[in-house]
Amino acid sequence: MTLPDYHFISAPLWLVTALHLLTLTLHLAAMSCLLGGTLIALWAGVRKQWPAPDAAGFARVLPAATAATVSLGVAPLLFLQLVYPRQIYAATIVSGWFWLAVIGAVIMAYYALYRTSFQAHRTGQVSLGLLALAALGLLYTSLVYSSVFALAEQPDVLRALYAKDQSGWVWNPAVGAYGLRWLHMVLGALTVGGFFVSVLGRKSPAMAATGRAALVGGMAAAAAVGFLYLVSLDTYLDTYLGPYMRTPAMPVLVVALALALAALHLHSRKRLALAGLCLFLSVFGMVYLRHVLRLVRLRGSFDLAAWRIAPQWSPFLLFLVCFILMLVVLVWMARLFFRPEPEVETQRKHQP
Amino acid sequence: MHYPFWDQPIGYGVLMAVIAVFHVFVSHFAIGGGLYLVVNEQLARRAGDTERLAFLEQLSKFFAMVTLVAGALTGVGIWFVIGLLAPAATEALIHNYVWGWATEWTFFVVEIAAAMLYFYGWKRLTAKAHLTLGWIYFGAAWLSLVVINGILTFMLTPGRWLVTGDFWQGFFNPTYWPSLVLRTGVCVMLAGLYALLVASRLEAGDFKARTVRLAAGWAVVGLAVIALAQAWYWKAIPAAVTARALETMPTPVRAIVLSLWLAAALGAVGMALVILAPRRFGTAAALAFMALGMAWFGAFEWSRESLRKPYILTGYMYGNGAEVAETANYRRDGFLPQITFRTGDDGADLFRHACRSCHTLDGYKALRPALAGADRAYILALIQGAHLLRGNMPPFLGTPREAGLIADHLYQRTDHRTLAAIYPLDGLALGRRAYDLRCGKCHAVGTASDKAKSLAGQSAEDLSGMLDMAASLGEGMPAYTGDAAERKALVAYLQTLSQGGKP
Ligand code: HEC
Ligand code: HEC
Repeated sequence: MTLPDYHFISAPLWLVTALHLLTLTLHLAAMSCLLGGTLIALWAGVRKQWPAPDAAGFARVLPAATAATVSLGVAPLLFLQLVYPRQIYAATIVSGWFWLAVIGAVIMAYYALYRTSFQAHRTGQVSLGLLALAALGLLYTSLVYSSVFALAEQPDVLRALYAKDQSGWVWNPAVGAYGLRWLHMVLGALTVGGFFVSVLGRKSPAMAATGRAALVGGMAAAAAVGFLYLVSLDTYLDTYLGPYMRTPAMPVLVVALALALAALHLHSRKRLALAGLCLFLSVFGMVYLRHVLRLVRLRGSFDLAAWRIAPQWSPFLLFLVCFILMLVVLVWMARLFFRPEPEVETQRKHQP
Repeated sequence: MHYPFWDQPIGYGVLMAVIAVFHVFVSHFAIGGGLYLVVNEQLARRAGDTERLAFLEQLSKFFAMVTLVAGALTGVGIWFVIGLLAPAATEALIHNYVWGWATEWTFFVVEIAAAMLYFYGWKRLTAKAHLTLGWIYFGAAWLSLVVINGILTFMLTPGRWLVTGDFWQGFFNPTYWPSLVLRTGVCVMLAGLYALLVASRLEAGDFKARTVRLAAGWAVVGLAVIALAQAWYWKAIPAAVTARALETMPTPVRAIVLSLWLAAALGAVGMALVILAPRRFGTAAALAFMALGMAWFGAFEWSRESLRKPYILTGYMYGNGAEVAETANYRRDGFLPQITFRTGDDGADLFRHACRSCHTLDGYKALRPALAGADRAYILALIQGAHLLRGNMPPFLGTPREAGLIADHLYQRTDHRTLAAIYPLDGLALGRRAYDLRCGKCHAVGTASDKAKSLAGQSAEDLSGMLDMAASLGEGMPAYTGDAAERKALVAYLQTLSQGGKP
């Protein structure tokens, strides 16, 4: 009897890649609102920039942002494991304890944010200690992700590290290789978080100002660090940067930067919906760049085209239907929640 | 074999159990609790029972905190852990079932969003809208069980998939339906237990009595569903699997028996609560009841996991990640060419990939104490006869040279003194030790391979002669390589074996 072979991908690569990048962009958008929002709220709190009711109102959104980040993070990690199992499992195993501690860090951040939100609801005050705790948990998580995923792109380093230490206590020592990458992500989160703050606080001058400052400052800094990161790959100029230049990455980079600038412009014109769209598309472009860079860095040890493709169309169709249903239900529930029907007022009198 | 091995001291079984038990609890509760909330909200609204509505609102806060945070994140946590502990199996599952998982994810997103809106919507929404959100929540949560159940049951009973590789045949495998019913029963039962816990904190009185009766009723109904489904489930597992489990794995079988007793106790207490509807019911009692429920569920899940041994994916991949389809390659070329992450110490690498996912040296299923006093030749025989030992282990599929490397690795780490020197024992007690070390690992007393009967009534000379020719008694039976003092004690013990080791 020949047993089924599991080394295959059950949909065309373009489809899996598209879903991967799309869900990753959604996850990063939510993550940025969460991480950027938490950092900005903390900053504004320390400097007492926001009136208490505004700060409390904002704190009450953060648990929802956490829920969104976690649930939107599941899909891209699934597709990542699907296409890059050899790289991803290996890197997570070598840093096993640090990787696993992410769960603890996120639970801690989540509860801290819930507590902040309940307290804000009850007392009208935001606890900066709890916010700081949450920020710590989230920053730890982001750092582990950057370090582990960078490690996954360096199979030789990974092998050498494992040969020396199998305990799962290995922290990627090549800080130079991912420090800038991580900083770029955090600054990107501040940018998007700034946008998020300015949208939620559009009726509060103080919040709108902080939000805008984070948006503009974050974007400038993120661009600078991103550029530095690309140049830092210069050490391997022949191996990475050269091939990278020959991919569609450069035109995409130009478009993504243009979209980011357009977002700034639209934002200053108070055309928030359109600005948000530009920002999202810009992040999508960056996610694509990141994807191409990964493939370039993995050249020699990994080739996407080597995957055997054996589509499972009926389960895929099931997924597609459920995915569309999910979007419909989400929109429908949000409308139900945020636009209560007129009879609510009269009905409510009969309720406890 | 294609992955590095996470060499942590806790032991894979323990780490997995800690996270899995917690998650399995919370996730079933997340489903049952949702049903409990909407059904009771509906009844309370119809009856205009404001006291109950207030109670439910309070319950929903606790519920949201538990399911949204702990439930969702321990779910992600399990996924992290299986990727670390069993990367090859996780990879195989994801490649076959990625669209199953992706579908589950859509339900998960809806579930989380609906739970938040339901929780924040008690005051904000109309009764109808609020109830609708509650039903959406429950529907999505249960549907995620419908999907994940296919993948979980696949691991134990892949059915025709092993021949065809067909997604749906693996998904709707022989234990799919009984397991779905069983787990749905678990959800209902756990909801009752949690509601009891919250109810126990109410003030004594009529309302409390009614609430306790209702919650206990849920637990009893859930348990009744479980009882029927469990019998069905057991029948749906291929007879060869259950028969082998009963033969070779005394501990999980004891767990199954224990789980039946625990279920009976749960049922009895639950019925008593329904009938008596106590006006006083303390938190300690509710916690004890909850602990009983958890013990039952833990025993059930653990025995279910054990049934799968020696596989992680039945008939497809062993617990250590060795692939059945690769057997011929392993036997010919060994494990080493397939172990891509090497440390320079081949014995250690082989030990990790062949044994370490189930054993530690000193902690969980520790091998150092189990092999104290053994010589290298005997350790080698145990490795090559691994599938013969109690515990339903995978066969060692590598080359003889590799078995030797593992034997060296273990022998260098174990106590080489004689048994009598390691344990200050003599006489029958020493003989029992010798039996545990040299025979009991394969002929565990009370199992199908128990040799007490065939050894009964033999003289000391006969038995000693039998030890001389031990290696010829059966394929895989090792030669006797213990020293003379140990042999004498062992023979004396063997003479008493049929009387349970008493002179
Ligand atoms: C799939 C899991 C698994 C793998 C892999 C595995 N074992 Fe085991 N092993 C078990 C179980 C379960 C038991 C029974 C333990 C018990 O009953 O307490 C056991 C028992 C043993 C025992 C007897 C222990 C005692 O307490 O007397 C020895 C020795 C042993 N295994 C050695 C090995 C060696 C050597 C390897 C690698 C070649 C190995 N095992 C691989 C699961 C495994
Ligand atoms: C590595 C596993 C293993 C160990 C350890 C082992 N045996 Fe065996 N033994 C076997 C196997 C396999 C057979 C052949 C199948 C059978 O009869 O169960 C066998 C057969 C026998 C038989 C003959 C079966 C019969 O019914 O006639 C006897 C007697 C026996 N073993 C006694 C012992 C004693 C005594 C020891 C300890 C010194 C021992 N065995 C240790 C695996 C083992």
